[in-house]
Amino acid sequence: MATIAVPLGAEIESHEAEAVQRPALSEYLRWSVDHKIIGVQYGVASFLFFIIGGAMAMLIRLELWTPDLDVMVSGAAYNSLFTMHGTVMIFLFIIPMWAAFGNFVVPLQLGAKDMAFPWLNAFAFWLIPPAAIVVLLGYFVTPAEAGWTSYPPLSTLFSGDGQTLWALGAHLLGISSIMGSINFIVTIFNMRPPQMTIWRMPLLCWAVLATSIIAVMATPFLAGALTLLLLDRVAGTTFFDAAGGGDVLLWQNIFWFYSHPAVYIMVLPGMGVLSEVLSVHSRKPVFGYRMVGLSSMGIAFVGFTVWAHHMFTSLQPELRIPFMITTMIIAVPTGIKMFSWLGTIWGGKIRFTSAMLFALGFMSMFVIGGITGVMLAALPFDIHVHDTYFVVSHFHFVLFGGSVFAIYAALYHWFPKVTGRMMNERLGRIHFAFTYFGFLFTFFPMHIVGMLGMPRRVAVYDEAFANWNQLISFSAFVLGFSTFIVIYNIIRSYYRGPVAGANPWRALTLEWATTSPPPVTNFTDDPIPFEDPYGYGTEASAAYLDAVEAAFDGNENRTILD
Amino acid sequence: MTSYVDRQEKLKTGLDRDAALRLKNNRLGMTIFQASWIMVFFAIIVVNWQLRFSYAQWPPVGVAPFDPLLPSIATLALLLSAALVRQGWGGLRGGKLGEFLVSWRLAMALGIGFMTIIVYEFMTVSEAALATQYGITLRLMTGFHFVHALAILAVMLHVYRGACAGAYSGGEREAWAVEGAAKLWYFVAVAWMLFYVVLYWIR
Amino acid sequence: MEDNRSNTPSISPAAIVVAAVFIIVSAIGINWFTSFVPVVLPDQASAESKSVDELFYILVIIGGVVFFLIQGMLLISVIFFRARGDDRSDGPTYHGNPLLELIWTIIPSLVVVFLAVVSFNVWSQNSEPKAAVNMINGEEIAIKVTGARYAWTHTYETGRLDPDGDPIVINSGDALHTYIGQNVDLELRTQDVIHSYWVPAMRVKQDLLPGNPAAGGRPTEIRFTPIRVEGAQYPAEYPIVCAELCGDGHGRMRGTVVVYEDEQQFLEQFYDPAIHAILNPPADPVLRGEIVIQEYVCHSCHVLDSLGWTSRTGPSLNGIADRAGERVPGQSAEEYIVTSVWDAAAFLVPGYAEQMAQFGPDQPDTYQMDAEQLYSIVAYLCTQGEQSDCDLENSTTAIPEAIKTVFGLEVDITFGQGDGEATDAEV
Repeated sequence: MATIAVPLGAEIESHEAEAVQRPALSEYLRWSVDHKIIGVQYGVASFLFFIIGGAMAMLIRLELWTPDLDVMVSGAAYNSLFTMHGTVMIFLFIIPMWAAFGNFVVPLQLGAKDMAFPWLNAFAFWLIPPAAIVVLLGYFVTPAEAGWTSYPPLSTLFSGDGQTLWALGAHLLGISSIMGSINFIVTIFNMRPPQMTIWRMPLLCWAVLATSIIAVMATPFLAGALTLLLLDRVAGTTFFDAAGGGDVLLWQNIFWFYSHPAVYIMVLPGMGVLSEVLSVHSRKPVFGYRMVGLSSMGIAFVGFTVWAHHMFTSLQPELRIPFMITTMIIAVPTGIKMFSWLGTIWGGKIRFTSAMLFALGFMSMFVIGGITGVMLAALPFDIHVHDTYFVVSHFHFVLFGGSVFAIYAALYHWFPKVTGRMMNERLGRIHFAFTYFGFLFTFFPMHIVGMLGMPRRVAVYDEAFANWNQLISFSAFVLGFSTFIVIYNIIRSYYRGPVAGANPWRALTLEWATTSPPPVTNFTDDPIPFEDPYGYGTEASAAYLDAVEAAFDGNENRTILD
Repeated sequence: MTSYVDRQEKLKTGLDRDAALRLKNNRLGMTIFQASWIMVFFAIIVVNWQLRFSYAQWPPVGVAPFDPLLPSIATLALLLSAALVRQGWGGLRGGKLGEFLVSWRLAMALGIGFMTIIVYEFMTVSEAALATQYGITLRLMTGFHFVHALAILAVMLHVYRGACAGAYSGGEREAWAVEGAAKLWYFVAVAWMLFYVVLYWIR
Repeated sequence: MEDNRSNTPSISPAAIVVAAVFIIVSAIGINWFTSFVPVVLPDQASAESKSVDELFYILVIIGGVVFFLIQGMLLISVIFFRARGDDRSDGPTYHGNPLLELIWTIIPSLVVVFLAVVSFNVWSQNSEPKAAVNMINGEEIAIKVTGARYAWTHTYETGRLDPDGDPIVINSGDALHTYIGQNVDLELRTQDVIHSYWVPAMRVKQDLLPGNPAAGGRPTEIRFTPIRVEGAQYPAEYPIVCAELCGDGHGRMRGTVVVYEDEQQFLEQFYDPAIHAILNPPADPVLRGEIVIQEYVCHSCHVLDSLGWTSRTGPSLNGIADRAGERVPGQSAEEYIVTSVWDAAAFLVPGYAEQMAQFGPDQPDTYQMDAEQLYSIVAYLCTQGEQSDCDLENSTTAIPEAIKTVFGLEVDITFGQGDGEATDAEV
């Protein structure tokens, strides 16, 4: 048995005496280089954009209640609505939301004082509000209406100035994402204390590392594509204008070379969260830790070779087969993760906390997205369902059933660490029930309407699909309602939740070996991680957890100061 | 007492813990940034490459191929400039400020010479070429590269003026600015080599 | 970490029972699910659809096994491995099992290889070029599809010549006419943005890509062979859908595939009457205009009750003749309509953006419209209204004069000499 390593020496006494001071709310509105403040800034901003994007989704579903155009003034208004919905959800919600958890949790999990480049970190965040304003402003001039994918020539020769603003905003967000990712990689490589070896790193750090590698290698392609789009729009070049010798498939190639890996940017951190949450709340080590970590890298690598499956109906036929094969291969590392998670909870002592419920919900929903992903990779079947509601359903199973469920799991899991107070578990369970069933009945029927013949991105559709769409819209409203529950829960718990203490979940990773919320420098000295980040069930780990509890939560009457 | 930095590093640089860590972070960050941002140049090479398929031949019918003579001279100037930057940086590390100032002055002059030729190339694309992607992609690539070269030249100038004012007499932390500017200038050279080959030699 | 393997859970009788239950449940579940396949996919109206649907069956069965395996294991975990009461203990310290991990790497890999091979076979079978395409009267003809915002136009290049020596081209608007067993091979071109030609019942889809007009565009190709659907009434109709976002009217960019029972029925009900109508155009410009206006994409943006058009992208054409005289000061009703067809941007109806395509003799493909066609369209539009501003009694002189005034073109109004009977046929 290994020796018990407790991260604190002589400091224990002083910790017991203090009440925990939370940062004043006004600090979150100011420039700050503290990764914890920045993490919360990212989180709150992204969540606001989630609400905006969600409201847009509600309007979309309202329009689709009937087969005719009745809520929107024109088809173009509807087009700009879903363009904004996609852009906001991808660039302003999911990607920055993972930057939020990455920022808050990764340095703590590594045992670092801060990120490698604190100033750059703040700068990357503060690029987001102006970029968001530029993108959203586009909605009020002649809006972008070419979808978030912005295929030319619709986005070049046939769109208004909003499209230019859209491209500018996306450019800024891409740069923010690159800067954030460089920061994560350097932090993970350089800021680990000596005892935190690479194979002791928590799996969230592995996932953020893989994500960041994807982001730094792929996002420049988005920058390149957007530069060309802007030049075509404002400088009169003809890169995407066939009449001038350009090629419309050029955009698709370069855009998807970024945007397919971007799917993994959006879901890999969620997979990291899942490994954390499932292990902690089922009190069992992650099954096959190394394979889970390496499969993140595998997904990152293979993710670069599959982009052209988005072009199955436009690519030259002879080029389609190789991309079908690579796309199918990516199911293998994803499957490894899925089975490893099952192995993790199998035989454990599952606590049905809200975080755990959402993690289980992720597994239950993401598997459907995975299965339909393989179905879509099968070229002949994809030809039928390409650009239909089947695809809409598939990527919402991946990005909502995957990413958003993981974001909720992460929220319930780390909220006590961020605020020092617990979230309300009963409300969490209600929230989960509404989200899970609302989600399932919104998106599962979309597979069927897609296969039956409903294309995506239409405001007007065949009357034969009216009943299905009413079911979908109704469920979508239920799903939309579920957001209010979590908003209420967040606000209420921030002020009135029970005091969490340092380690409410009795988790072994380092972020729990400090106060909640952690002090400005995170740890008083280089913390020594437990020999195994997920080594639950041993006497050593129990002793370690008891020591942490004694070190930080010895005083029963701890208070949180605002 | 634990340390963020392995002891070898400490012995080598003689820096205290935080400064050594900052240097290490800066170096890795610069490497990752270079690896990342070179991808934009690759993306633009993909553009050039894919647009070739819009035409039966490259350069397109009726368009005279670009003369590689002047750009080759420019390329040589740029490479020489990068080598001088390297030499000056080495000199500064050896404590020879004078060598640094001379080398960087020369390097920046060569850099300006390179950029002048590139601007000339940009301005003098024939009408026939500009009617096709052959000319448009040349403008895209030279223009895109020029913007980077200009920005990084400005960084070098800033560092040079700092050196004139005596900012880099000893402290390693400030010397990072020199190292960073030098590495950015290498980046300019590498990025240009990629474009140079694609633009003038791959038909 | 070897020391932790000691508390590996061994296989218990309960686990065997659970596995057996899983197998039974998934067998029933998959069986139940596949019984829905006819409900979740449209009619199998092409030879290609059979093999695609077979692939779908395979995917659903394999997907179903994975689905029930994972959901089943989740359910079992949730039920059996929950911490009961105030059990605060940890689970077993079980770090993994290399053999198990190897198995769940290799088996999915094999499944993926299997699926790739099956998909490849279906793909090569479906994409193989066929001999004897578009056979009509024993000859191969070219059938071309043009996508323009927001309508499909199908043209049949019959290979025949009319008495003047011009080729006879049938324009069937947004309907593709074919018959069971015909190897359809369409050449697809777009005039503006990317569209995607999708016939759900045929399980085929192909994007239309803008190309350089100087280089002959960038035609793409789509192939399918209609087959008999049990219980269908012939001629049977299947929707054509645009699957790639193309703008405001994307959702309305639809068409119809009309499948006839055999070539005989195809010739009798579509092909021969269409040729007859082209060879014998009605003499009355209004009747002729009614035909011509439907050959263009006008219906994709305008409302016109008398032809059943409902799109609201552009201004309504209902009662257009009542308003035409007052729109632009100094312009007669004829002149206004003439201008609006060829040069829509000259006057924008308040509330509408400049987005109508340019029509005219110099425009490409489906935007090409000669002065005679313009004449007949204007003649037809002049009748749309209760108190037409047009000079209906002298339309044979008023409209050509308007065309001459606005565009400086002479119109040969003697072009239509037929008896007009052919208008009864489907054109």
